[in-house]
Amino acid sequence: MLCLAGYEISKSYIDSDQSIHVLTDANLELNEGEMVAITGQSGCGKSTLLHILGLLDKPDKGRILIGGREVHAGMAEAAMIRNQELGFVFQFHYLVEDLTAKENVALPAIIAGVSIGKAQKQASELLERLGLSQRLNRYPNQLSGGEQQRVSLARALINKPKIVLADEPTGNLDPDHSEEVWQMIINLNKQFGQAFVIVTHDHESARLASSTYNLAKGYLSLCP
Amino acid sequence: MNNLERFYLGRYLQAPKRNLLRFSFVFMILGIVLSVGILSAGLNLFQGYESSLREVLLGSFPHIAIQDADSDYISMEDAEKLISTLKSNDKVEMVTPTVTYSVMAANDTRVRGVSLNAYYFDAHNPFPYAKYVKEGSSQLADGEIIVGKYLAKELGKKCGDTLKIVYPQLDKISAMGLFPSERLYKIAGIYSSGFYESDRSQIICTINDAVSLLNITPSYAKLELRLKPGAIDDATHIAEQLQQQLGLSYLLYPWTTFSAGLLRLVTMEKWLIFIIFSFLVLISGINVISAVTTIIFDKRNEIAVLRTLGSSNASIKRLLALQVGLTGIAAIISGQLFGALLSFLVEKQSWYHLKGDVYFIDSLQATISPLNQMVVFLVSALLISGCIWYPLKQIDKMQIIELLRNS
Repeated sequence: MLCLAGYEISKSYIDSDQSIHVLTDANLELNEGEMVAITGQSGCGKSTLLHILGLLDKPDKGRILIGGREVHAGMAEAAMIRNQELGFVFQFHYLVEDLTAKENVALPAIIAGVSIGKAQKQASELLERLGLSQRLNRYPNQLSGGEQQRVSLARALINKPKIVLADEPTGNLDPDHSEEVWQMIINLNKQFGQAFVIVTHDHESARLASSTYNLAKGYLSLCP
Repeated sequence: MNNLERFYLGRYLQAPKRNLLRFSFVFMILGIVLSVGILSAGLNLFQGYESSLREVLLGSFPHIAIQDADSDYISMEDAEKLISTLKSNDKVEMVTPTVTYSVMAANDTRVRGVSLNAYYFDAHNPFPYAKYVKEGSSQLADGEIIVGKYLAKELGKKCGDTLKIVYPQLDKISAMGLFPSERLYKIAGIYSSGFYESDRSQIICTINDAVSLLNITPSYAKLELRLKPGAIDDATHIAEQLQQQLGLSYLLYPWTTFSAGLLRLVTMEKWLIFIIFSFLVLISGINVISAVTTIIFDKRNEIAVLRTLGSSNASIKRLLALQVGLTGIAAIISGQLFGALLSFLVEKQSWYHLKGDVYFIDSLQATISPLNQMVVFLVSALLISGCIWYPLKQIDKMQIIELLRNS
């Protein structure tokens, strides 16, 4: 069943009086529990597409459907949709420096209205499942890169979203940690059945996804 | 307050050093402490001045004065009847018959114009201003006087000395010219009410001495009424009631006739100073705007993350307002404590004294009124809140995607 779809998405930027077409009529469909990878060269617009799908940016043209409902970044419910139906993992993890690992993970649940105690309990359980039971009360700067990204993954999953959008989740990690995070994503995808859209420039890792799209010169195409 | 705000509030309170005492807040805190301190000290001192002046005015002058409408004197018989009528009023504490004349006090080289006040007092009618006799005795025998502090100082006299009082008797001219009436009196006490004009020009004696010096038939110039503490503010109304009771043969002057305007003026000046000093808090608000702008810049990543995770702009603004606001409240309270310390130091200092001839009283006193402190807190909090909210508006204009890209 289709949980996320983007149709005819176009986006361009003005740079030095010149219009740069980053996306041209991009189409993408994601079914429940599916894992899709988007590859392409650095700066080709992969992150832009992910931001548009995640309601963080507005397309110039095109439609986005989440759970069959047409949505866009400017709508009043966009924040609620980002909180309840989407999970985000970024290359630079974007953990809040002043909060511990457990508190960082609990944030989306707290924003959703779950009581602080319950949210922190859920966060602890999730971090324990991701092998971070010894790191619950550490601050981000006391964690390794791989640990930071696992905390970031846990944060994306705490509200049990149907879709997780990951932007170069291993882009900032060494090969060992990169492999570890990929395995974790695959396991989570199998365990929880969440759909993943993973942007990566690593073609080898992208093969682990159930389908792969390639973005080149603004055009998105499904790889055979 | 939603869950996220409660969560952050808990964090701020659990680790105040990490969250509330940030380096970027130092000048904001200093600015608020100083400006609120000055505002608070100014108000404490003006409140002290107002309270002291009121206390002195109500302590050293009659609450209601009664004079005969047709004559300069009230006869002894009439006075007795009046006193018994007035004493039956449950709001009247004390009735004192008085004679007041302008005379001259002289030592060997100097002469001063003074006000001679003679009171009738005995074991049943105590001297109403006894508490202001700071040296010597307030119990006068015939031939003894009490002299105002500054008058004694100007004439170089002290307790136990003698002072010549001269009454010119301008209405009694003989073939030889004016023959003033003069007597030597022993100074039995020094009077210090704190009201400069009284302390500089008042001499108190017994009725017998006044009658003898002034060569008048035994009578009183007026009756001075002191009201019970709870009735003092109602003096105008009580005077109206007594006027109806005593009839139009007597004139009644409540203290409000002469002093209420002055006290109202002082009160107005106090709030005028408060408004002017409030601008200092507003100026310190510039540091608050700067601190909030800095914290928005420092926390742009966190703002982007919170918005990505589904938090609203309004909620993020409240989080930051809470952080700066808690620091601001702590700074305002510290400022009020600093103001109390400042006013205490001003009160205790000895290098500057009020000029009594200008300000009526000669000592600076601070009064910390809970109501005034509440007003200082509320006005400061309101001004600081405005300075917090104004820069927070820029969060509405921030694009998540720009914040993430530039992180």
